[in-house]
Amino acid sequence: MPLRGIRTSTAARNGAGAFILQCKRLDFHYCNWAGSSKGMVAFLEKNLPAFARENPQIEIRVSPRPQKHPLIKGLYINGREKPVCVRNLDPSEILKKANLLKEASGEKLKRVKKPVTSLNESVRGIWSPYHGDLRGV
Amino acid sequence: MKRLQLQRWSSSVLSPRARTVNRLHQHIYGQRCQSTAPPVQARDDQTTAIFAEPEVLDEQLAQIVKDSHTRRSQLQYPSPPVEAARQSAKLAALHARLYLPSRLPIETLARTLVDASADPNPNFNNASLATLGHDLLSYYATEHLICTYPRLPLTVIFAAMYAYAGPKTLAAMAREWGVDLAALPGGEVDPGLLQFQRLEPGAEVPSGTTHPTARPYESQKNWRKTVTSKIFYDDEFGDPLKGLKPSAAGVTTEQASAEFVRAVMGAIYLHAGRAAAKRFFEQHFLSRHLNISELFNFQAPARDLTRLCARESFERPVAKVISETGRKSRHPVFVVGIFSGQDKLGEGAGASLMEGRERAAVAALKGWYLYSPLSVRVPSAMEEPSALPWKPVHVDLGEVIV
Repeated sequence: MPLRGIRTSTAARNGAGAFILQCKRLDFHYCNWAGSSKGMVAFLEKNLPAFARENPQIEIRVSPRPQKHPLIKGLYINGREKPVCVRNLDPSEILKKANLLKEASGEKLKRVKKPVTSLNESVRGIWSPYHGDLRGV
Repeated sequence: MKRLQLQRWSSSVLSPRARTVNRLHQHIYGQRCQSTAPPVQARDDQTTAIFAEPEVLDEQLAQIVKDSHTRRSQLQYPSPPVEAARQSAKLAALHARLYLPSRLPIETLARTLVDASADPNPNFNNASLATLGHDLLSYYATEHLICTYPRLPLTVIFAAMYAYAGPKTLAAMAREWGVDLAALPGGEVDPGLLQFQRLEPGAEVPSGTTHPTARPYESQKNWRKTVTSKIFYDDEFGDPLKGLKPSAAGVTTEQASAEFVRAVMGAIYLHAGRAAAKRFFEQHFLSRHLNISELFNFQAPARDLTRLCARESFERPVAKVISETGRKSRHPVFVVGIFSGQDKLGEGAGASLMEGRERAAVAALKGWYLYSPLSVRVPSAMEEPSALPWKPVHVDLGEVIV
């Protein structure tokens, strides 16, 4: 066997071809009685239908959670979830939180140091000490 | 010290939790295996029934009983009924997430999620769609590889095909599309979940009965199979053709996910046409990252290079030391170049002269095999309506036979 092929699988580059929104599901929890859910209930009545229409790729669930503060929980494709408590917030602020959860990738927050991350090799190559002009000492 | 009074809460701790679902509930909604699935045919007026007039109440009660009967009949099916697809939020979200064409109905997307191991009826499972999608995937991937890299050796083409359209990649794609798996297949499962019969833990993975091929001397197991014969007799990855899988034993998650992705490809082709299927392939499959130069595994690169130069009637390759440092030290480095006449074919650095020569030969061979023409046109581009006349593409001889 002079030459063999090595079996691997291709790596995803989300957005290089198709873009898959990483937020899979948003759960909205509210309480009908408590005052901290006042903004949330207004949001569910006024803003949520439009939000759901704009983002058809997200599954939306609304469920009561009595005696608790209102909550938005985002579930992501990588299996993680991100809950945000929205007690005493206005509908506009809740919309901001929902957009934040929608745009998140689901990864843990981390500091990005390099402006570019790539799977490709560097075009310029790595510096080699054995090439180029040798200087006389 | 006070004693704990166990009697008050021991029943809920020590015994398994009592089922909250009573018999009436079971009669109305049926036995539910999947707690996240919304009850099928649930209506708003059921909740307001108690406030209504007696006659209306009777009608609604009759409706509830009727619904419960449809519900129970749905439970007899091995996969969700067609009407349930419109009510599934997961399915609609998946359709939108993949930017599937609107001509692909959501019912067909629901069908692609039903594996043959969940529903053996070929009118309701994804086997036929997956067969079509598999052929399309193989065709598009093959023509892309052969036209883009016309000198690629066959074994590397097989490996690259496996990387682009192999079951491992397809299963990873299904995961990255956010497709959840159903615990058990059944008529009451949310149609947005991938349904298949799982293998029992510890069960042996059925490899599938090997399809009888037209290969001569099939019974001779220890005879060498040439790489070229794999094109004719084996599948697109160079593996022996698999026959039908035994359906009773169940399938692995990887197999079921791969079948689903293939079925989506076939469904797009059927409903939205060839152009949409090709666009889907380019956006989801070709856009993935694969470094083909990492797929080579050379056994004797210097010998291969000599034979290649003889075949292409180049001058015999000669290895020369370009520069070196620390020959007598613990870490010597030799930079070796391989020359054919005046032309440098490749260059490599190694800790010994032999290692440098091997690396240089690998670099030279990869430089030859990975040649790619500038403007690539694949045969399926001729299927577009206003396509220019076809110019034959250059496809080389491939690897040297040693």
